[in-house]
Amino acid sequence: MISIRKVSKYYGDFRVLTDCSTEVRKGEVIVVCGPSGSGKSTLIKCVNGLEPFQQGEISVDGTSVGDPKTNLNRLRARLGMVFQNFELFPHMRVIDNLTIAQSKVLGRSKEAATAKGLKLLDRVDLKAHAEKYPGQLSGGQQQRVAIARALCMDPICMLFDEPTSALDPEMINEVLDVMVQLAKDGMTMMVVTHEMGFARNVAHRVIFMDQGRIVEDDAKDAFFSTPRSERVQQFLSKILHH
Amino acid sequence: MMYEFDWSSIPGALPFLWQGMLVSLEITAVAVVVGIVWGTLLALMRLSHLGPLSWFAAGYVNLFRSVPLVMVLLWFFLIVPQFLQNLLNLGRATDTRLISAIIGFALFEAAYYSEIIRAGIQSVPTGQMAAAFALGMTYAQAMRLVVLPQAFRNMVPLLLTQAIILFQDTSLVYVSALADFFGAANKIGDRDGRIVELLLFAGAVYFVLCYAASYAVRRLQKRAAA
Repeated sequence: MISIRKVSKYYGDFRVLTDCSTEVRKGEVIVVCGPSGSGKSTLIKCVNGLEPFQQGEISVDGTSVGDPKTNLNRLRARLGMVFQNFELFPHMRVIDNLTIAQSKVLGRSKEAATAKGLKLLDRVDLKAHAEKYPGQLSGGQQQRVAIARALCMDPICMLFDEPTSALDPEMINEVLDVMVQLAKDGMTMMVVTHEMGFARNVAHRVIFMDQGRIVEDDAKDAFFSTPRSERVQQFLSKILHH
Repeated sequence: MMYEFDWSSIPGALPFLWQGMLVSLEITAVAVVVGIVWGTLLALMRLSHLGPLSWFAAGYVNLFRSVPLVMVLLWFFLIVPQFLQNLLNLGRATDTRLISAIIGFALFEAAYYSEIIRAGIQSVPTGQMAAAFALGMTYAQAMRLVVLPQAFRNMVPLLLTQAIILFQDTSLVYVSALADFFGAANKIGDRDGRIVELLLFAGAVYFVLCYAASYAVRRLQKRAAA
């Protein structure tokens, strides 16, 4: 579904991504982890074209992301993205956050969009909050709304950019629960996260990045039990031994 | 001898002064609306990645912010009436002073408004734009539906404060002998030889109106922050 081939990205002379290649197949859940500044967020933002890249190729469901002829808006409408800081629209009620792109981008009727929005709010257990503004919700609730907002577009794949990093520890699980459910329902997901419990639980593969390179790209069990590179062994020993 | 105040010419002049006040308010209202609309377009051009648009907006803003308002008004007073008369085939008699003053104000104020609006747009976190894009919105949709509404909400106090300044600045149209509130007071004072009284009175009215408006803006700001 997503194929990333030899992607490199520069900020001026500084190379943030070097020769990154991987595949995400339909129904697969891929966790991308690694130290801060390793380029994992940048890589996931290249997938829906929020970050441009200079070399290599990314294609999503057969559409080339880097091709200037590609209609990026149309492509992005088919990919859901969840951000570290939620990025709900603070001047709109929760339900309007869920319907605006449905009506303005997909051209759905107000009734259809609202029905869909309420259904997905119900799925993340927040139907009672439809009329509230994002600022009236907790961080965990806001992130669940953000997930519902992305799902409203019937995405073929969901991209998560550190969805729990900005949350209070108590709220991390309510968001992870939603994501686990989503994975179990068969959604194709690419998730940048440090939540190794989530990776162990539902990931099919784990990608480890360091200094802009994909250092390890393994089936989950192999990643945790017999990581090949020393860098990954170091990383795992540091975050798992507590 | 002490100067002896004589306020007796004011009551009879009130209807004329009121007419002047309406002129001042009309210029203010049109200049605020046009200034905000044109200022928003200038701000968007300035922030765009298209070189020529951005340079044009930057040049426009820097030009108008670097010349005195009174001079701009004078240019427009001297140039625009002739231009309009030629363009619209108006007779020499048609009074185009008001319209040229309004155009001058609107174009001048747009430069200031565009800087306020540019700062307002930049005050919206970039993640909002990214989120709008991620949902498939175009740049225009993201601006119109997501960024600008938030920017304007943050800017309301500044825009209103600028409108108050603009209202005071309208007194400068006296250079075109237009009877705005200040001009009207000036004329009555001249006619009755009571210029001191009339200008004190006009000053008091400006002060009360503007101070009350500033106070209202501060109240609004506090309520919005609460």
